[in-house]
Amino acid sequence: MIAMANITQMTGKRVEDHYDLIEHPSGLRIMVYPKPGFHSAYAVFGTRYGSIDTRFRRSDEAEASQVPEGIAHFLEHKLFENEDCDAFARYARTGASANAYTSFDMTCYLFSCTENVYESLEILLDFVQSPYFTKETIQKEQGIIGQEIKMYEDDPSWRVLFNALCGLYHVHPVKNDIAGTVESIAQITPEMLYRCYNTFYNLRNMVLCVAGNVETEKVLEVADRLLRKSEEVSVERAFLPEPEEVVYSYKEEALAVSFPMFQLGFKEDPEKGKQRDAETDILLEILASDASPLFRKLLDAGLINEASFGYDHFTGTGYSAILFSGESRDAKAVAKAICEEAERLRQQGIDPEAFSRARKAVYGRNISALDSSESIANAMAGLYFRGQELFQYLDRIAEVTLEDVQACLQDTLLPHRSTLSVIVPQQS
Amino acid sequence: MFLQTNREVSECVLENGVRFRSVRDPRFKTQKISVHMMVPLAKETAAAYGMLPFLLSRTNRSYPDYTLLGQRMAELYGASLNGEVSKLGDVQVLTISASGLADRYALEGESISAELTSLLCSSIVDPVLDENGLFPEEGFQQEKRQTLELLDSELNDKRLYARHQALELLLGEEPAAIGRYGSRESVESLTREEVVSAWKYLLNHAVLEVDVLGDCTPEQVRTTVLQYFPANRDPVECPTIVRPAGVAVKEKTESMEVQQCKLILGFRTGVSAMEWEKTPAIKMMSTVFGGTPHSRLFLNVREKMSLCYYCASRYDTNKGILLVESGVEEENVEKAREAILQQLEEIRQGNITEEELTFAKLSMVNGLHSVEDYLSGTESWYLSQTFHPRTITPEQSAEEMRQVTKEQVVAAAKSCILDAVYIMKGRD
Repeated sequence: MIAMANITQMTGKRVEDHYDLIEHPSGLRIMVYPKPGFHSAYAVFGTRYGSIDTRFRRSDEAEASQVPEGIAHFLEHKLFENEDCDAFARYARTGASANAYTSFDMTCYLFSCTENVYESLEILLDFVQSPYFTKETIQKEQGIIGQEIKMYEDDPSWRVLFNALCGLYHVHPVKNDIAGTVESIAQITPEMLYRCYNTFYNLRNMVLCVAGNVETEKVLEVADRLLRKSEEVSVERAFLPEPEEVVYSYKEEALAVSFPMFQLGFKEDPEKGKQRDAETDILLEILASDASPLFRKLLDAGLINEASFGYDHFTGTGYSAILFSGESRDAKAVAKAICEEAERLRQQGIDPEAFSRARKAVYGRNISALDSSESIANAMAGLYFRGQELFQYLDRIAEVTLEDVQACLQDTLLPHRSTLSVIVPQQS
Repeated sequence: MFLQTNREVSECVLENGVRFRSVRDPRFKTQKISVHMMVPLAKETAAAYGMLPFLLSRTNRSYPDYTLLGQRMAELYGASLNGEVSKLGDVQVLTISASGLADRYALEGESISAELTSLLCSSIVDPVLDENGLFPEEGFQQEKRQTLELLDSELNDKRLYARHQALELLLGEEPAAIGRYGSRESVESLTREEVVSAWKYLLNHAVLEVDVLGDCTPEQVRTTVLQYFPANRDPVECPTIVRPAGVAVKEKTESMEVQQCKLILGFRTGVSAMEWEKTPAIKMMSTVFGGTPHSRLFLNVREKMSLCYYCASRYDTNKGILLVESGVEEENVEKAREAILQQLEEIRQGNITEEELTFAKLSMVNGLHSVEDYLSGTESWYLSQTFHPRTITPEQSAEEMRQVTKEQVVAAAKSCILDAVYIMKGRD
């Protein structure tokens, strides 16, 4: 007797859309968000497993284990290859456009297609559940990933980010390159890959989100056939304690760039940071969007440009930071201006008009993102792994108050918790 | 074949010669209005035209201050007014677009569409000018600085930089070789007089296309456009040169501080969209050759031979050229070049399977069917056909792709003649 999937319909209070949230008997959480009239469907099958998961403890083991840096990303590459054929070759028959990515805290396998949606879904669920690793295939992949690591070494925007993260974090693995190093991936063995696979690719640690031209019943029909019930094992991220202080407050590196670039990071309490995404997005819009006095001041002084200046709330398990980035001939002056403006707002309070404008802007952009099946599916997956829900998140933005944002500002954007990373042109 | 809920497409030439296209589609929660102004690319004028989309979108007479305009856009639920410069063959395309939420999401019943339309039109037609009839010095200097920084930062993206170098080598004196913002020197020496006369020329002589997309109000936009733009417009001719390959292959090698080399092969097909009946076969050939993860280049040069981290081909229908771009290790540059040419030779010899062709078709059809799920996809689909002898829908194109035969693909491969090889190497 097959257990039935438990389906809940989620409806947006502020948009006319809805989606089905399914607890599948296999242990997998599934979300199906139909978009009537759209031609394509986008599916993402993800695991709560990213580059930061180099130290973990399984619920059925006493000791925490340590694995080499870059292993989640390596595993992502290897999963595409099953024993008999490669996943891309299978997708070729459905016309789907497929890909995968590994971030700091998740690994996602995805496809988008207009015809043969359910055949493509079958391929996705099947290959992600069919690991096949041998010494030979691993050796070959070490070469390919070695190339990828080199490509990133040449990428100044990647270097400037990691120099900032290495300044913010002493021990948290978020400071390590997602792909690892040529040395760290050289240590990877088939046994290690199977162990990580069996730990993190448990369906209870995963999510499947499909949006666009899809129907729940048909998704479930494929899921019922393909998903194998997972063991009741959970996994805990076992990070070493991370101090509140930063490692260094300034780092400069010379690379083949023709114009200097920077990343300015402010370290936050990871627990608090995770809870207040909506507040932080609105705060950043007030502080530094192109409608802000700070942006204007920096632009008029010739310190930033519209094409490159940006900011991000960068959070995940055990880490949280606000990052500003861009190109500037004087990054130190930009950093100083940002800190001063945050302090001014802290002292004088936020202008209620600026607050209501910023909230409208953040709200409008989040609603706009619902036009894209890709954004929807990725947002649902990302929010799920952080214990949040899409429509609640939209409501939260609409309900944030000026006081919430003021409170948030009291313990973030603090100069003594910041790192400025700068890439300067080489002297030649 | 697809459910098309209330989608309304219309296309016409307005009384003042403006081409007006609307795709009203209430599936979307957003709307987008774009004005594209097109002129022949030329060394003498590229910089002046290239600056205009940015200069015009920063203020207008209703909102003469950059920050005030930014605040108004934030209030309109995070709407945006953006400038963009692109190329279509030997034509420079200057775009200013306004995008934002659909009117139905305005919490206070405001008409976002009416406001965006008039902001957009007045930015283009009614900019702030000083007592001498020039763009104010301050905004002009800001945009000049930002354009120069944009050009400098191009070097930070090695892939993009290498592509530009390869195009310059391949195209020589053809206008399409000119950078979309003009050269660094021409931007530096630009005067306000030049920019103001370029603006006046655009209003009267650019080929003008207006696109209204999404959950929009085309009638209102049409009325506003007629009201704002001059009545007796006289659009310029915008030809594009299509050349055959030269007698000898042009070669260029550059040394830079990079870990990974770039190798780009530039081919001439001699076939552009002017001979539209021949282009489906070339597009198909490019897809079989290096357009997907199951293409010749990906499966052989990348996967089997492990020579490149990426290796892909792309056909430009406007110029009739085909580029193969790859990232390789220095010691593999020659091997990769041979392997790429070997794959092309295989196709020329007719060594392609029915399956390969089917897969390429499925992948292309999938991509074409997805076009209309995105406002920007729909917009660029039609914009790219501005100078073609006919306009087709993505579905019509998909139908043509399905009809391509193996013999046509072989003939298309035979028409691809290597004309330029660009290599970026590391320094010792």
